[in-house]
Amino acid sequence: MEEIWEFLQTFDLEVLLAWFEQFEPRELVLAASGLGAGIAMLAGLGPGIGMGVAAGMAANAAGRAPREVRGVTLVMLMGQAMAATAGIFSLVMGLLILYSNPLTEMGDAVSWTILVASTLGAGVAIIGATGQGIGQGYAAGKGSEGVAARPKWHSVIVRTMLLGQAVAQTTGIYALIIGLLLLFANPFIQ
Amino acid sequence: MISGEELISAASALGAGAAMIAGIGAGIGQGFAAGKGAEAVGRQPEAQGVVIRTMLLGAAVAETTGIYALVIALLLLFANPLL
Repeated sequence: MEEIWEFLQTFDLEVLLAWFEQFEPRELVLAASGLGAGIAMLAGLGPGIGMGVAAGMAANAAGRAPREVRGVTLVMLMGQAMAATAGIFSLVMGLLILYSNPLTEMGDAVSWTILVASTLGAGVAIIGATGQGIGQGYAAGKGSEGVAARPKWHSVIVRTMLLGQAVAQTTGIYALIIGLLLLFANPFIQ
Repeated sequence: MISGEELISAASALGAGAAMIAGIGAGIGQGFAAGKGAEAVGRQPEAQGVVIRTMLLGAAVAETTGIYALVIALLLLFANPLL
């Protein structure tokens, strides 16, 4: 314990930053890209939970009204498709960081700290799509329950579900915009 | 002394690990689906075919995000474009 405490007391940010200076800026940004692409995929949490919840509610609803299974399945898949966009956002961001990170080649003009932090930040930003995936999946589940209970109101239920999901979508789009801004129109890089 | 390539590999390994945390979501969601499915089959055993079909279809869709994360992790490990 005491050794750890002593180590923490000797911690010096300057020394750490100097340690990074031994690398080329390009190498540092590439390392950050590897880490950032992985972090971006964390947003897959949300749609995973949400679409699973939708599947459960739909299965339950199909059990209650086996005759309506077609309508229930259709609404479940429609709702899940909306929830899946969060996962696709994170996949797009992960692939962009991996294969076409424009910050990699800017090491000569800009401090590497900005480039590394922006790359990591782009990955972190897209985690915001998590909530969208959970919420839209819940809406999909409730929508399929509604269709099983009142098949005649199918179109009204679907319309309400899609409208609500579109509103829930906005936060995911905000996260994507900030991530793309950090990568492609970074205000810290003139 | 650590070379730049080693640093990139190390960070990629961390990233591959971080990517797989996304598996939590698919696990929770599919578990919930399985629970609801069991609940429905218990209530109405005669509808089990319909229930299981719907549950598996939905769970398969929920699986996709886990697979996305797996693809990125495998890319980072075995086909790393950064090196």
